Amino acid sequence: MLLLLLTLTSFTSTLTNANLEGDALYALRRELKDPMNVLRSWDPTLVDPCTWFHVTCDSHNRVTRLDLGNANLSGKLVPELGRLERLQYLELYRNNLVGAIPEELKGLKSLVSLDLYHNNLTGPIPSSLSFLSNLKFLRLNGNRLTGRIPRQLTRLRNLKILDVSNNDLCGTIPTSGSFYKFSEKSFENNPRLKGPELMGSVSYEIGCDVRT
Amino acid sequence: MTCSNFFSLSLSFSLLSFLLVALLLPISPVSTSTTSAAEQAKALLKWKAGFIHNQTHSDLLPSWTLTTNASSHSYPCNWFGIVCNQIGSVSHIQLGDVGLQGTLTSFNFTSFPDLVHIVLVNFTLFGTIPCQISSLSKLRFLSLFYNQLHGEIPSEISVLTSLRVLSLGANHHSGSIPLGIAKLRHLTVLDLADNNLSGSIPTSLGDLCNLTNLHLFSNALSGPIPLEIGNLKNLTELSVFNNSLTGSIPSTLGNLTKLTLLHLYSNKLSGPIPLEIGNLKKLTELSVQRNSLTGSIPSTLGNLTKLTVLLLYSNKLSGSIPLEIGNLTNLTKLSMNNNFLTGSIPSTFWNLTNLTKLSVFYNQFSGSIPQEIENLKNLSSLQIAWNNFSGNLPQQLCDGGSLVNFSANGNSFTGPIPKGLRNCTSLFRVRLENNQLDGNISEAFGVYPYLNYMDLSNNKLCGEISPNWGQCPNLTSLRMSMNEITGCIPLELGNSSQLQRLDLSSNHLIGEIPKELGKMKALSSLNLSHNHLSGRLPLEIGNLSNLDDLDLSANDLTGSIPEQLGDCFKMTYLDLGKNKFNGSIPEQMGDLNSLQRLMDLSHNQLNGEIPSEIGQLQVLENLNISHNMLSGSIPSSLEKMLSLTSIDVSYNGLEGPIPKNKAFKDAPKEAFTHNKALCGNAKEFAYTMSVTEKCDVYSFGVIIMETLMGRHPGELLSSFSLSSFLSLPSSSVEQPTMLKDVLDERISPPTAEVVQIIVFIVKLSFTCLKVDPQSRPTMEHVSHELSSLKSFFV
Repeated sequence: MLLLLLTLTSFTSTLTNANLEGDALYALRRELKDPMNVLRSWDPTLVDPCTWFHVTCDSHNRVTRLDLGNANLSGKLVPELGRLERLQYLELYRNNLVGAIPEELKGLKSLVSLDLYHNNLTGPIPSSLSFLSNLKFLRLNGNRLTGRIPRQLTRLRNLKILDVSNNDLCGTIPTSGSFYKFSEKSFENNPRLKGPELMGSVSYEIGCDVRT
Repeated sequence: MTCSNFFSLSLSFSLLSFLLVALLLPISPVSTSTTSAAEQAKALLKWKAGFIHNQTHSDLLPSWTLTTNASSHSYPCNWFGIVCNQIGSVSHIQLGDVGLQGTLTSFNFTSFPDLVHIVLVNFTLFGTIPCQISSLSKLRFLSLFYNQLHGEIPSEISVLTSLRVLSLGANHHSGSIPLGIAKLRHLTVLDLADNNLSGSIPTSLGDLCNLTNLHLFSNALSGPIPLEIGNLKNLTELSVFNNSLTGSIPSTLGNLTKLTLLHLYSNKLSGPIPLEIGNLKKLTELSVQRNSLTGSIPSTLGNLTKLTVLLLYSNKLSGSIPLEIGNLTNLTKLSMNNNFLTGSIPSTFWNLTNLTKLSVFYNQFSGSIPQEIENLKNLSSLQIAWNNFSGNLPQQLCDGGSLVNFSANGNSFTGPIPKGLRNCTSLFRVRLENNQLDGNISEAFGVYPYLNYMDLSNNKLCGEISPNWGQCPNLTSLRMSMNEITGCIPLELGNSSQLQRLDLSSNHLIGEIPKELGKMKALSSLNLSHNHLSGRLPLEIGNLSNLDDLDLSANDLTGSIPEQLGDCFKMTYLDLGKNKFNGSIPEQMGDLNSLQRLMDLSHNQLNGEIPSEIGQLQVLENLNISHNMLSGSIPSSLEKMLSLTSIDVSYNGLEGPIPKNKAFKDAPKEAFTHNKALCGNAKEFAYTMSVTEKCDVYSFGVIIMETLMGRHPGELLSSFSLSSFLSLPSSSVEQPTMLKDVLDERISPPTAEVVQIIVFIVKLSFTCLKVDPQSRPTMEHVSHELSSLKSFFV
C-alpha cells in the first residue's frame, strides 16, 4: 500500500509556472552555482520573470536583457537559454562558467550582444551562432575555447565587435564577409591560431590537427 | 454480461478459490510446485549475477547465497526481499534501491509460476520488459515504478489476467498503450504515468470496470479522452495531465460519480467544460488549467461542494463567474487567471471562507472588491492584477493578518491604501502599481518582517516616505516611482542591507541624498531621477560595489562628481544628466569598465577636459556629455571605444580633432554643434564649420599661443574668432599691444630682435587659428615658414 501511495502522490499537481521564458531562466538557475545569491529572486512560481533581478522585459513581458556580469557564478550554460526569442543582451561576462557554449543559443533571434568573456568556457565556438543575424557584439575572449573559428560567422552582417582573443583556438582566421574589419587584436593570444586565411592556394585546414 | 455482473461473479469466484486453497493446505505435505526451491534459488542467483554494482561497496544482497548457516531447505525463502508461499515456492519479490543495477532479461520467469507480487521500485532496472513475463499467470501485483525501463510495454501483459495493480510509472517506456490491457479485468490500479508513451488512449480501457485509479499523466499521448472512460464507474482518481490530448472533455465523465481527483491539465483540450461535471459530487480536486477550453464556467460546478481545489487558469474561458461558485465553501484554492472572463466578482464569493488562494489576474473583470472580502480570514494569496477593477480597495483587507501575496496592479483602483495593510505583518509580496490610488503613504505602512517586494509605482500617492522601510529585514525591492511623494529620502533607508532595487523616481522629493545610502551593500539598481534632490552626491556612493544601474538624472544635485564613483566596477548604466554637477569629470570614470548601456553626464556644469581614461570604457555603447562647459580637445583615446553607437558632445567648449572611429564619423551634426572649434571627418558640422582635415593646424596654432602665453589661449581665441568672423584683417596694427599683455610674464620681456620673431610666429599662429578651415595654411606651409626662421639664429 505504501507503494501505491508512492505511485499516486509523488507527481501530483504542483502549480508549475506557465511562463516558458521563466522556465528557461529557471533551468539556468538550477544549473548554476550562485554563492552570492544573485539569482535568489528568480522565483518560478511567479507569473513571469519580469520582476526577477538582473532580468529586463519589454512591454509584452518578454525577456530582453539578462545582466549577470561580475556575479561570481559557476557551472554550465543550459540549452534552454536558446528559447528567449526576444533576448537582446546576454551578459554573463567575468564569471566562472564552465562547459561548452550551447549550440541552441542560435534560437536567440533578437540577440544584439553576446558577452561571455572572461569565464572558463571550453569546447568550440558553435557555428550555429551564425544564425544570430542581429548580433553586433560577440565577445568570447578570455576563455579556453578550442577548435576553429567557424567561417559561417562571417555571414553576420551586423557584427561590429568581435573578440575571441585569449583562447586556444586553432586554424586560420576568416577574412571574408564582416570579418574584414577586425584587426589582429580580436584574435591575439591564441597560440595555435595560424593567422589570416590565405584565399586560394593554402588549405583552410592548417593548424587544427586532430592529434594536437 | 454487464461489467457489474462480471465483477460480482469474479468476486465470488475468488472467494471460492480461496476456500479451495484453504482446504487443500493441511493435505499437501511437501512442495507440489513443478519447480523446486533449489531451482528457484539458482534462477535468482543467475539473475543476481547479471547485476552491476552501482556503488563501490561490496555485495548488497549478501543473503542471496547458497552457502548459509541456516537450514539448507530455507533458501531462497529466507533471502532478503523474497517471500515464499505455504508450499515453499517464491510468491513475492520485493526489492527497492539495493545499490545494484540490473535487467529483467536474465530473469527466468518460467521458474516462478507462483509469483503473485513483484515490486522492483527504484531498483535501477534497465532494459525492456521481456515477453516471458506472460508466464506469471498468478501475478496480482506488478510494480516496476521508477526505473530506467525502455521500449514498448509488451502486449503479452494482456495475458496476466490476475493483475490487480499494474504500475510501470516513472520509466522510459515508448510506443502506444497496448490494447490488450483492456483484458485485465481485475485491474484496480493502472499507472503508466511519467513515461514516453505516445498514441491515443485506447477506448477499450473503458472495459476495465474495476479500475479505481487511472494514471496516464506526463506522457506524449495524443488524440481525445475516450468517452468510454465514462464507463469506469469505480474510478476515484483520473490523471491524464501533461500530455498532448485534444478534443473536448467528454460529458460522460459526469458518470464517474465516485471520482475524487480529476486532473486534465496541461493538454490541448478544447471545447467547453461539460455541465455534467457538476454530477461528480465527491470531487475534491478539479484541475483543467493550461488547455484551450472555451465557453463559460458551468453553474453546475456549484454542486461540487466537496471541492477544495478548482483550477481553471490559462484557458480561453469567457462569460462571467456563476453565482453558484459561492456554494463551494470547502474551496481553498481557486485559480481562473489568464482567461477572457468578464463581469464582476459575484457577491457569493465572499462566502468562500476557507479560501487561501484566489487568482483572477489577466482577465476582463470589472466592478469593485467589496468590504466583504474581509470574511476570507484565511486568504494568503490574492491576485487580481490586470483587470478593469475600480473603486477603492477594501479598507479591512488583511485584518485577519494572513495576507502574504497581494497583487492588484494594472487596474483602476482609486482611494487610499487599505488601513488593514498597516498591521498586516504577514505580507511578503505587494504589487499595487499602475492604478489611481491617491492616499497618503506617510503612515499607511508599518514594519513588515517578511516583506520582500513592494511596488506602488504609477499612482497618485502623496505624503512622505516612511523611515519604517529601513526596518524591513527581508525587503529586496522598493518601488514608488511616478507618484506625488514629497519630503526627503529618510536616512533610515540606509539600514536596508538587503535592498537590491530602490526606485523613487518621478516624485517631488527634496533634500539631499543621505550618505547612509552607502551602507546598502546589496543595492544593484538605484533610481532617484526626476525629483528635486539637492546637495552633493555623497562619496559613500563608491561603497555600493554591487551597483549595476544608477540614475540620478533630472535633479538639482551640485558639487563635483565624486571620484569614488569609479569604485562601482559592476555599473553598466550611469545617468547623472540634468543636474548642476560642476568640476571636472573624474579620471576614475575610466575604471567603470562594465559601463555598457549608457554614460550620461549631459546638462550639467562640468568643466575642464575630458579625461583620456574615458577611452578605457571599451563596451560603452552610448555616451552623452553634451550641454556642459567642457574644454580642450577630445582625447584620442576615445578612438578605442569601438562599441560606441551614439555620441553627443554638443554644447560644450571643445576644440580640436574628432576621434576617427565609426561612432564619431556616423554621428549627426547635432552631436557636435555649439562647441569651440571641433573639426575632423564627421558627416556635417554646425554652420560655422565645414569638413576639413586641418584640425592639426588649428591645434598647432593653439599650442604656439599656449607656449607663448604660458596658459591655454582660452578667451583670447573666442574674441579672436569673433573678429575673424567679422572679416577684420588678421594682423591688425593693434596686435603688438595685445601681445605685450598676453605674453607669459614668468619669462623676462623679449628683446627687440626676439620681438620680431615672436610677432612672426604669432602672425603664423593666427593664420592657423582662423575659424574658416579653408583659409588656414597647410601644415607643410607652416613647417616651411618656421624653417625660414633659422636664418634669424646665426
